Amino acid sequence: MSNNGVEARVRKIIAEQFGVKPESLNRETSFMKDLMAESIDTVELIAALEEEFDVEIPDEDAEKNQTVGQAIDYMSKKVTQKGH
Amino acid sequence: MKLCIFEDGRFSDLYPLTYTRPVFDLRCGRTKLYEKIMRNFQGVGATFFMRGHLGPVFRDRLEGAVNELDALRGDDVLFVNGRVLAWRGAIRPPGDEVAAIRGDEIAYVYAKRETVSKLIGSSIDDLLDRLRAQLSQLSIDADLVGHPWDLVRNNPKAIVDDFESIGRRGILGKMSPKAEIYGDAEKVHVAETAEIHPFVVLDTHSGPIMIDEKTKVLPFSRIEGPCSIGSESTIVRGNVREEVSIGPVCRIGGEIEASIIHGYSNKYHTGFLGHAYVGEWVNIGALTTNSDLKNDYSNVEVYVNGNLYDTGDTKVGSFIGDHTKLGIGCLLNTGTIVGVGCNLLGGEVLPKYIPSFAWFTRGRISRGSGLRRTVEAERRVMSRRGVEMSQSYVQMLQHIYDVTKEERENLIKRSKGRAIPEA
Repeated sequence: MSNNGVEARVRKIIAEQFGVKPESLNRETSFMKDLMAESIDTVELIAALEEEFDVEIPDEDAEKNQTVGQAIDYMSKKVTQKGH
Repeated sequence: MKLCIFEDGRFSDLYPLTYTRPVFDLRCGRTKLYEKIMRNFQGVGATFFMRGHLGPVFRDRLEGAVNELDALRGDDVLFVNGRVLAWRGAIRPPGDEVAAIRGDEIAYVYAKRETVSKLIGSSIDDLLDRLRAQLSQLSIDADLVGHPWDLVRNNPKAIVDDFESIGRRGILGKMSPKAEIYGDAEKVHVAETAEIHPFVVLDTHSGPIMIDEKTKVLPFSRIEGPCSIGSESTIVRGNVREEVSIGPVCRIGGEIEASIIHGYSNKYHTGFLGHAYVGEWVNIGALTTNSDLKNDYSNVEVYVNGNLYDTGDTKVGSFIGDHTKLGIGCLLNTGTIVGVGCNLLGGEVLPKYIPSFAWFTRGRISRGSGLRRTVEAERRVMSRRGVEMSQSYVQMLQHIYDVTKEERENLIKRSKGRAIPEA
């Protein structure tokens, strides 16, 4: 799967979780500062990404992803690893 | 004679309570349905039949073979529908072979050894169909549980029936001299290791009260009969109104009326629970309240397994599946169904139907944390009460997660449509 494909799906899931349009998100958008993420959002977002890409995201990895760009890069990497 | 206690095809009419247990494991009064059946036949062993995903879990819990047809060979067998409410003496050991039918449903079948051996096939359903076709039929007037609210409706009768069955009376445990029995003291049973603290009132005017081993009733609690409180439970400043059954290892406070709490669940704080059935490993947060009466006093309607039923009753509360957590201040409408493994946050009236493993937060239904994290959390919850979650239990939850996926996804989609305004 192309990185673009993963990026679009990650953006869509994040947008759905926070009730915003996908195009309003950029790579620097911060879950905490810009989207006012609460712990519930984080848990739901991780579960949605896990289900979408059929991967497991450890809590310690999830904590490192603070922006939309970081989440896209992380998921791209996970999908690539899964493909191998 | 052998007993065979079986599930028929109507288990889904008792969802969400029967996702995680066979129908005969449901509680009504102090005892579960299979316990009522078995106490009519002291010393008789039982074989149990249930859906496949439950078998490995209940094989460890029940004394008797599970889903083993061959266990029925070699003796006369009394087959009893697991939904029968077997009041004391209601099912008498019959002499002749018979299929006892209530309406169009089998209540019980009695068959001789030779007949069982001759007709036994590949499944319990086949066997029962053949027995029904071959044996003479007797139309009887038995009580069979059809829907969750039937358990609540029959609970007061079941408590009285159980009280008569245990045959024990009086205060055998510790009762503070500053606690009071208001009414007939002969209608109380406090077990040897139970404790009734000061400023507790046990009111037996409307029925008996049973308080089981190692249970504590803390000060300023009032308990009205008929009532049964299971072992190792704690009542914390509880206003326990009439017709309440509480299973083992529960912590109950606030106001509760005409309800069944299966066991291992908490409702510690202020808040009202009425005409409800609460499963296992449920936590009900402070101020969470359910309605059990509509403002227009009309019959309450309930969604079960995709069908809307008129309960025929004006007093119907909530039915809550195992492992569900209700946060502070949840408001449940009359006849609300909440599935297994849900997480609900309060602040508004919840939808009347929440599918299993869904979350309800900020006005919308979502997938929440998914199965894996829910299992991890529930494993911690169970270990706090000294119960280990087995691999077969995890597989049972996985099965429930899978079979409820479609309805969950459908309701999540509908919920999103309502909650997120178009920009």
